[in-house]
Amino acid sequence: MNLRRVETSTWIYLAISFLLIFIPFIVTGRSMQFIFIQIFIFAIFAMSYDILLGFTGIISFGHVMFFGIGAYSTAVTLGRMDATIGSFVLGAIIALVIAAIVSLIVGALTLRLKSHFYAMLTLALAGLFLVLAEKWRSVTGGNDGFTFSLPEFFRDSETMYWFSLLSMVLIFFGLRRFTRSPFGRVLMAIRENENRTESLGFQVTYYKVLASVVAGVVASFAGVLYALSLRFVNTAVFATDLTIDVLLMTIIGGVGTLIGPIVGAGLVEFAHHWLSGLADVHWIFERWIILYGIVYVLVVIFFPLGIVGTIQSKFMNRPVRALRTNRKSDGKKENRKGA
Amino acid sequence: MENLLELKKVEAFVQHYHILHDISFEVPKGEVTVLLGRNGAGKTTTLRTIMGLNRVSKGSISFKGESIVGRTTFDIANSGIGYVPEDQGIFGGLTVGENLRVAMKKEDEKTTERLEWILELFPDLKKFWKKEGGQLSGGQKQMLSIARAYVNENDLLLIDEPSKGLAPIMVDKVTESIQQMKEQTTIVLVEQNFMMASQIGTRFYIIDDGVTVHSGAMDELKEDKQSMKKYLGIS
Amino acid sequence: MELFISLVINGLATGMLIFLLAAGLTLIFGLMSVLNFAHGGLFIWGAYTGVWVFQMTNSFTLGIVAAILIGLLLGLVTERLVIRPVYGNHMQQILITLGFMLVLQELIKVAFGPDQKAVFPPDFLAGSFMVGDIVLIKYRLFIIAVGILVFVIASLILKKSRIGLIVRAGVMDKEMVQALGINIKLVFMLVFMTGAGLAALSGILHAVYSGVIYAEMGLEFSILAFIVVVIGGMGSFPGSLFAAILVGLAQAFMAYYVPALSLAVNMLLMTIVLIFRPQGLFQVKG
Repeated sequence: MNLRRVETSTWIYLAISFLLIFIPFIVTGRSMQFIFIQIFIFAIFAMSYDILLGFTGIISFGHVMFFGIGAYSTAVTLGRMDATIGSFVLGAIIALVIAAIVSLIVGALTLRLKSHFYAMLTLALAGLFLVLAEKWRSVTGGNDGFTFSLPEFFRDSETMYWFSLLSMVLIFFGLRRFTRSPFGRVLMAIRENENRTESLGFQVTYYKVLASVVAGVVASFAGVLYALSLRFVNTAVFATDLTIDVLLMTIIGGVGTLIGPIVGAGLVEFAHHWLSGLADVHWIFERWIILYGIVYVLVVIFFPLGIVGTIQSKFMNRPVRALRTNRKSDGKKENRKGA
Repeated sequence: MENLLELKKVEAFVQHYHILHDISFEVPKGEVTVLLGRNGAGKTTTLRTIMGLNRVSKGSISFKGESIVGRTTFDIANSGIGYVPEDQGIFGGLTVGENLRVAMKKEDEKTTERLEWILELFPDLKKFWKKEGGQLSGGQKQMLSIARAYVNENDLLLIDEPSKGLAPIMVDKVTESIQQMKEQTTIVLVEQNFMMASQIGTRFYIIDDGVTVHSGAMDELKEDKQSMKKYLGIS
Repeated sequence: MELFISLVINGLATGMLIFLLAAGLTLIFGLMSVLNFAHGGLFIWGAYTGVWVFQMTNSFTLGIVAAILIGLLLGLVTERLVIRPVYGNHMQQILITLGFMLVLQELIKVAFGPDQKAVFPPDFLAGSFMVGDIVLIKYRLFIIAVGILVFVIASLILKKSRIGLIVRAGVMDKEMVQALGINIKLVFMLVFMTGAGLAALSGILHAVYSGVIYAEMGLEFSILAFIVVVIGGMGSFPGSLFAAILVGLAQAFMAYYVPALSLAVNMLLMTIVLIFRPQGLFQVKG
């Protein structure tokens, strides 16, 4: 019944994406282009987090491990082999496969337990990966990390920009489709009421584990791009700070909206850049995290839906995307697209 | 006679489910009012709603002439209502004595007297004073829960299915104790065991599908085979 | 043998500090099912304020008092402003307390500067003495003594006093506690403040123990406290002591024998516990 609106929003997103293609012609400064690239990458990372937090109701404190896995897989592969597209593809495949396996194991172990166990175990594992990256010097270069050269194709800042943009747009539409599929509907049902979903005969754990695998793989891909964009990798890609960053992006933008994390990534990255720039004006801006933290706390209390969620529920008269459809059936046949 | 508790057209939800649709009843002082009805009719929910454990969405509840709708559970309890929940609500890791101590708001003479009185009624509690609540038998838990509600000087006791899961001999014991308590306190009793209910109750209300559908004096109900069959499935 | 004993003492001292930190956290979880990721923020505020007062007045005792006071105060503020609006919603609690944690951590940098600070023990606790061949460092023994003292006092309160019984009863069944006429939110606030005070005490004691403080310790110790609480069994007070000592000893021994793994030892312990005994080593009775 909402088919028309969905169509409209798709057109809007496509139009914005199209406009974004031309940014590199207007903004020619490498550092500014770099900020955009970072936004695209973190938007992908944040969208993957939204699959967990927003669509399935799983909190992870170690989502950064998949990001780090992606970054290191790419960097190590490119660092040890010729800087060719082939090595890159191989690195990316390794990244995605490892992420899939790790997320599968972690999910299978903890997603049958209460929510905070997944949060804690992912936190613990991310910590283990950080330590591993620090100690396994022969491969990772320890704390300092290492640089590597890129395949010819990615050396150009503009190419990197377009590649990241394209990735983000494709992943956005892909994930949107995923969340609107019958599978995605079940995930939202789990978020709304796990017990009820279970009693309807769904294997809740199975759905949750698969959601976490999707999230892990997408996050890993964000890590792949991140390593490419920096031409460098170090243990910072496993730092808890990054998990927190991505958490803030998702929350501020709006959980469960997919577009929200993109908005959040843009805001946070720009705010970061802009506020650090103000550090010369007054020392308080060096402590921009305070502002950031306060805004975030206020958002959680007063706008738990985030920017996009609040706009959607207030102005577009669209209820929060809670599951309101078919409680009675198995949910597979009756789902209508774009309901 | 003055009504101690009065519910008028009460509606309530449990999570998303509309459970109570129209509950109205009066509890006169000094009587035992029995709530009867099939499983799932809303009897337990009614008691929980009185205690403020469920939110009232419509209607009014007044206790001693004052509205208690929207007040917090502890406030309602402090205004003079003792509650014996369906699952007895025993603190499993605390001993019998500790369970009672948590409940005792004062340690004055009067409370001690009440404690002694109830311990005489339930000598088992004295015997297992240092036993953990979780290790008591079902009947002992029931006694402890009733004692806990009784020790404070409450005007009203809400007792939810005290006979549930008890051996017949324990049921008799609990029945007898409630009969003794009713000399001193007003009681609202939810009960499936019709024998027990008819022995203790003065007045009854039947709840069906969240609505109080029938009421009268307990003695009349015994003769009213039609209602018994219709609402309670007893023939 | 000497080595073994000194490692045990190290481990116990670290364990006691962790226990002070985790005790409050486990009780507030048990009582109101609140997940507080800002707990480490109370810890660093205790550390910085305590050290500041200690260095200004040259009295360690005053430093400790100041730390506890700031802990109680911040505990009150945190409970009122941050926790209360999100009662009953785990996801929001986790998210909001994490944000507040960051704020507390950054505010440390505003109030005390962003750099690391060196801290030295007070004269009467500095140095060590020998018993046979064993070197006993005074300050470590002091920490162990404080930890035991706190555990004993807290246990007595929880076992003997009515308020303690109420707290334990609340952990088991908070609805029933309220139905008995007890204002559980008030009880919870007191527990929260006490926990915050203990975390702050742990902060100042740890500052002198490690000899250095920095703002990022906040998040590190929030995480550490959670690990310990998960290992011990969320809501279990004795469990938090046991798990804290376990983690302390594991850290001490790993740091000596397998230094490469010492950073990971907490995580390893927790992973093992989550896999084989997800309810924690001690389970709270319902």
